Amino acid sequence: MKKKDIYTLALLIVLTLTTAIFSTHLNHLKYVTVIILGLSAIKFMLVAFQFMELKKANPFWKSIIVIYLILFVTIVSVSL
Amino acid sequence: MKTTKIDYKNILYPPGGILLWILITMELITFGVALIVMVINSKDDPQLFHESRLHLNTTFGAINTIFLLTSGFFMATTVHQYHQNNYKKAGFYLNLTMIGGLLFLIIKSVEYYMKIQSGHGMGANSFFMYYWLLTGFHVIHVIVGLVILLFLKNSLKKEKTETEDIEASAAFWHMCDLIWLILFPTLYLII
Repeated sequence: MKKKDIYTLALLIVLTLTTAIFSTHLNHLKYVTVIILGLSAIKFMLVAFQFMELKKANPFWKSIIVIYLILFVTIVSVSL
Repeated sequence: MKTTKIDYKNILYPPGGILLWILITMELITFGVALIVMVINSKDDPQLFHESRLHLNTTFGAINTIFLLTSGFFMATTVHQYHQNNYKKAGFYLNLTMIGGLLFLIIKSVEYYMKIQSGHGMGANSFFMYYWLLTGFHVIHVIVGLVILLFLKNSLKKEKTETEDIEASAAFWHMCDLIWLILFPTLYLII
């Protein structure tokens, strides 16, 4: 087991619980939607770059994932 | 077993293979566009979408996220052990990966059963139509992923696995994680 993967999993679990807590207990906050989407985007990047080893890939594939996430989070945040 | 060195920096050889990455990109775009359409649609009746969303069990969603993420971690460990030529350990972690996927499906089945019992089927309203279609298609991906992992397990046992096979299977499994990581917040947390 790679130590970096273990830390990544721990961080992913913490972020998942944080987003769930934000949604159920802090949903009165003004920017809660953007915070939840932002934290989810971080989780997405961690899985793609660490678990899928995209960090080793050509910058083209890395940029596709980053551009996709930026577009998705922006469009959903603006549309809500 | 055949462990080959792949030049991942080459644009044609991302980890998992170019064909799988084209598939991953297309799948992410499809689910992403469907979620955006749902969010835009929710503007027609925000109250209905919000109240319907509150009928979803956030705890189930969060537990399922943790199951899939842990399963993804074991998949990454399987690939790592394979590269270290520890094939027995790779097989062991592959089993844990599949258990994670099965637990996800069990929780999802319980959730679906509860939704049907409470009258929140696909025809209940627009929100639940999106909920059933999006999570249903995701579940199909998880089932297909489990079948692929089962074949991989079999080839690992017979020591016939090649680097490309294990990396492509892993990439498909992680794709299920990625899709869920955009479905969970949009459906369960923010609408």
